[in-house]
Amino acid sequence: MGESSEDIDQMFSTLLGEMDLLTQSLGVDTLPPPDPNPPRAEFNYSVGFKDLNESLNALEDQDLEALMADLVADISEAEQRTIQAQKESSQNQHHSASLQASNVSGAAPLGHGTNVAATGISPYENDLPPPPADPVLDLPLPPPPPEPLSQEEEEAQAKADKIKLALEKLKEAKVKKLVVKVHMNDNSTKSLMVDERQLARDVLDNLFEKTHCDCNVDWCLYEIYPELQIERFFEDHENVVEVLSDWTRDTENKVLFLQKEEKYAVFKNPQNFYLDNRGKKESKETNEKMNAKNKESLLEESFCGTSIIVPELEGALYLKEDGKKSWKRRYFLLRASGIYYVPKGKTKTSRDLACFIQFENVNIYYGTQHKMKYKAPTDYCFVLKHPQIQKESQYIKYLCCDDARTLNQWVMGIRIAKYGKTLYDNYQRAVAKAGLASRWTNLGTVNAAAPAQPSTGSKGTAQPNGQMPQAAHSISAVLQEAQRHAETSKDKKLALGNHHDPAAPRAPHAPKSSLPPPPPVRRSSDTSGSPATPPKAKGTGGGGFPAPPDDFLPPPPPPPPLEDPELPPPPPEFMEPPPNFVPPPPPSCAGTAGSELPPPPPPPPAPAPDSARPPPAVAKRPPMPPKRHENPGTPGGAGGGEQDFMSDLMKALQKKRGNVS
Amino acid sequence: MAGMKTASGDYIDSSWELRVFVGEEDPEAESVTLRVTGESHIGGVLLKIVEQINRKQDWSDHAIWWEQKRQWLLQTHWTLDKYGILADARLFFGPQHRPVILRLPNRRALRLRASFSQPLFQAVAAICRLLSIRHPEELSLLRAPEKKEKKKKEKEPEEELYDLSKVVLAGGVAPALFRGMPAHFSDSAQTEACYHMLSRPQPPPDPLLLQRLPRPSSLSDKTQLHSRWLDSSRCLMQQGIKAGDVLWLRFKYYSFFDLDPKTDPVRLTQLYEQARWDLLLEEIDCTEEEMMVFAALQYHINKLSQSGEVGEPAGTDPGLDDLDAALSNLEVKLEGSAPTDVLDSLTTIPELKDHLRIFRPRKLTLKGYRQHWVVFKETTLSYYKSQDEAPGDPIQQLNLKGCEVVPDVNVSGQKFCIKLLVPSPEGMSEIYLRCQDEQQYARWMAGCRLASKGRTMADSSYASEVQAILAFLSLQRTGGGGPSNHPQGPDASAEGLNPYGLVAPRFQRKFKAKQLTPRILEAHQNVAQLSLAEAQLRFIQAWQSLPDFGISYVMVRFKGSRKDEILGIANNRLIRIDLAVGDVVKTWRFSNMRQWNVNWDIRQVAIEFDEHINVAFSCVSASCRIVHEYIGGYIFLSTRERARGEELDEDLFLQLTGGHEAF
Repeated sequence: MGESSEDIDQMFSTLLGEMDLLTQSLGVDTLPPPDPNPPRAEFNYSVGFKDLNESLNALEDQDLEALMADLVADISEAEQRTIQAQKESSQNQHHSASLQASNVSGAAPLGHGTNVAATGISPYENDLPPPPADPVLDLPLPPPPPEPLSQEEEEAQAKADKIKLALEKLKEAKVKKLVVKVHMNDNSTKSLMVDERQLARDVLDNLFEKTHCDCNVDWCLYEIYPELQIERFFEDHENVVEVLSDWTRDTENKVLFLQKEEKYAVFKNPQNFYLDNRGKKESKETNEKMNAKNKESLLEESFCGTSIIVPELEGALYLKEDGKKSWKRRYFLLRASGIYYVPKGKTKTSRDLACFIQFENVNIYYGTQHKMKYKAPTDYCFVLKHPQIQKESQYIKYLCCDDARTLNQWVMGIRIAKYGKTLYDNYQRAVAKAGLASRWTNLGTVNAAAPAQPSTGSKGTAQPNGQMPQAAHSISAVLQEAQRHAETSKDKKLALGNHHDPAAPRAPHAPKSSLPPPPPVRRSSDTSGSPATPPKAKGTGGGGFPAPPDDFLPPPPPPPPLEDPELPPPPPEFMEPPPNFVPPPPPSCAGTAGSELPPPPPPPPAPAPDSARPPPAVAKRPPMPPKRHENPGTPGGAGGGEQDFMSDLMKALQKKRGNVS
Repeated sequence: MAGMKTASGDYIDSSWELRVFVGEEDPEAESVTLRVTGESHIGGVLLKIVEQINRKQDWSDHAIWWEQKRQWLLQTHWTLDKYGILADARLFFGPQHRPVILRLPNRRALRLRASFSQPLFQAVAAICRLLSIRHPEELSLLRAPEKKEKKKKEKEPEEELYDLSKVVLAGGVAPALFRGMPAHFSDSAQTEACYHMLSRPQPPPDPLLLQRLPRPSSLSDKTQLHSRWLDSSRCLMQQGIKAGDVLWLRFKYYSFFDLDPKTDPVRLTQLYEQARWDLLLEEIDCTEEEMMVFAALQYHINKLSQSGEVGEPAGTDPGLDDLDAALSNLEVKLEGSAPTDVLDSLTTIPELKDHLRIFRPRKLTLKGYRQHWVVFKETTLSYYKSQDEAPGDPIQQLNLKGCEVVPDVNVSGQKFCIKLLVPSPEGMSEIYLRCQDEQQYARWMAGCRLASKGRTMADSSYASEVQAILAFLSLQRTGGGGPSNHPQGPDASAEGLNPYGLVAPRFQRKFKAKQLTPRILEAHQNVAQLSLAEAQLRFIQAWQSLPDFGISYVMVRFKGSRKDEILGIANNRLIRIDLAVGDVVKTWRFSNMRQWNVNWDIRQVAIEFDEHINVAFSCVSASCRIVHEYIGGYIFLSTRERARGEELDEDLFLQLTGGHEAF
């Protein structure tokens, strides 16, 4: 072990170098490559938060535990193994601990909002190994803590090998991950692992699986800025990590998971946006009764042509004057190229219009209670600002409408102008997903049960973990992943390697997870799990994370090679749990699960694919895993914390060790 | 046989003499006189004519035109009686296809032979087949506007006239591709040049010419154009067109089906040209910001087209570009896939370091530019008091990702500034970088632009970006940027850019060239990566996104109203517009339309919509036939389906647009 650990350290240092590169792009400083410990930190990415140190210091054991639980859930069994191995050589392997710590820290500060503690894991192998992986999966949630401890040093070496593989994969796929705390409408929260390639759609799909909600198209991720009193929904095609990385570290911003019928209102009743005769109020009633066929043709006409049609929208709105609390009424017009206003004494012909704002660099938000906050004439306000602006600034534009209907028309019109056909594509995907979901629920009652109602009921962190693993996810995820990734041969190879490994080490677990029973198990774990405590204690959670890093490093150190395959598999394990439904699927599920954790893509994709159903899913799943693996590799890139982050991680690690020991 | 006579020479059958002129409608034309009876078939008459002329020639395209009835005698099995032809009929035996000069959407003139005997719909379809434009149903012909009293110095210094009149297209089959163009274009250098003219965008027009061309100054001016559409159910001959006349070929219906850069190079280009001229001649209004985007796209398209990159089939460009982009992305992602590579890439990340003068506008400060040591690495800009302090903490560090980069350049004044608007959680911070010369400016500018999109200078597009900036600066030097610039502007030098050729004249009046150039450049950076076909498509899309796009204006008088109003006809709706103010009074959608009727006697169109809404109006600026055809045409176009391919249901079209036998 000692040798291997050294090798690992070396690998880590090289990885760190890479990470630095990656992190630069992220805007976060990179840690010094030399430190062995730091390397792990690299894998973990904390995004957007300024005070890593603070956050780390501030971390409470509880927070750590919660995070750990989440992480554990996410991590595939393989990872867990690696973690365990690391724990065994706990001190040598700083990675895991540090990783966990870092993650935790990130999460803690966030508090209300989404926590962004990123951990990079290399769950890749999982997919391939279907059978082996499954066993692993079972362990993850509840067992994770114990397993790590129990695991033996022997395994550790094998893990080291796997780690090497994982490291390589990581390099290929430098993927940044965040742990995001999502607030549900029942005031509970769920923590999710989101990797930098995941779109809002993927995250939604992930949440669907965890919550067993009805999956209708109105569900959305919703960001709230308490300070500015603004909020908006994520568009399904938006990259979640990218959006979150604009948040400051001490932000109070939150991510919510809720239903908003405004999200796709235009596709349900296009006539309200395209055929609204503002001149005649009485026409409203008739408008709202448009038959389905006409709606369809109206949508077709507006969104399926060579270019989309932006609803004609114009009218007087109140504009908040820069830096003042006074509102001025102006006549605004919406065009595909931006919002314009009619200058004083001019007409509203195109040539006289003055540009108010173009949409390229701004997002649109609803303003809440601006009547109170800014003395707005009404509470129907919308706000345009650059996504990176987080505090009050003269660069934020506040507009106020006379009524809710006008507000919705403007917000939707601006979204159409800004996003174009993408919006319609998103909607169609959402519809497909919703349809799929309804079928799915019919198919598997088990899943529904598994879900995690318990988790929802239970409070925060613990629950999330339990839910994460759920099978439902995996299936959909698998499909999606398959589609998206059409991945490279590399992935496949990795996956293959993983399979072997996983099978060997965790064979026992795998079966359980894969089988239908798993769901229940998970739940139990979840509920109990809440197991947050166990994870914390284990620090293992952290360990789990570290494990991935280890994987990465290993490449150089040949010693552990054998196990390498195993390592990857672990992630799959997590994934697998979801698959619970069918025995055969389990492996595949596992794979998906694994993929979900590290690579965001899997979860979302899976649902989307038509073939989401179990049988097909199974077939597809195997391939998917590889892809995921690649993704996980990337995690290192995060580096949001950077230098400070590294030192913080070290501290956290030490702290953890102390706890563990 | 007709013409039996007695020995004394008296005709004893009921035959009579029929005089037929040979050639096109020309009073001086030679004529032949035939002996016919009412029972003679047209086919027999044709035979006799040819016999009498006794000249060796291909007569297959010839047919008889009956001048008084303005009708072709194309049914060869019909008898003279059936047609009602008597001895006093003035008949002309002439070719059915005659040369006309087409003014294409790109304003170039093309001579070709068009059918004078088929309904215009078919004639246009044949022309489009020759030009390889798919979906001919979207196009039609207009009469050329009558030339107003020619001004003293008649312009048009003999313009180049392309000639396709000798090209004959085999019927039926879609022309095969040969050497990247339809085979019938590859016969000679001349036709090849013609194809290039058709499929490649033309250079920007001379700004002076642009100012001279007539532009609509009001809505009622915009109705003029639409009074000139030819009737698609009748042939050219019936509409008084003569051989050699000038006709305009234009996209008439603004509903472009299945626009595909791969298969439609000519269609795409001509559509782009029509859109461009629409904008340049202010047929459609746009805002200043939109005009800059249009100008930038034109500049870009022209640049690509001049550089000959057009040569390759435009269709493959986008795909390749995507692939390239994907590959370069992949490159970045894989960077350092092995530890050693990582190290290498670490050491080779390009960075810029230099002394630059920096200015940060703040309230209550009079400080100007101060020199700093500036380091630009990845997407981050850091500046220090001096080079010595570089290893330490910078005065400020800015991540340029997502920032706005605005050039502030005056070449003649040797001012090369970059304005950066960098977003941060607190708002946007503004900073100016002042470079010493063009070279330095180009390098830093290119870096800033890439960084704003989250890419580093390691990106493969960095070098080309630097070159593009240098090229643009040189344009400003030679072109519109000079101090001697007058609103009229000097003619663009060979390689120079004259921004006045890219914008509508009203912007020429509003801005100086040196004001326009940087704005166009700014807009250009967003489109600089597009291929030719993509850029054209983008242009067309932006055009389609204009609120007034695709509306054909006709002056009408609604029943019960005492003033003229404007009826706008778009592909999905009719719009009633106040003539004086230009405000939309009412919109009716075709999807709610039950039926429409035309009373040809009183020139009134009556339309019934759902819920018993009835509208009736008489047409003032154009014949009601044109309005009728527009409505019917749009209804027809909406019935097209992808599955049917390019098959046209001509009967349906004529049914929807015809029905005015009263003429």
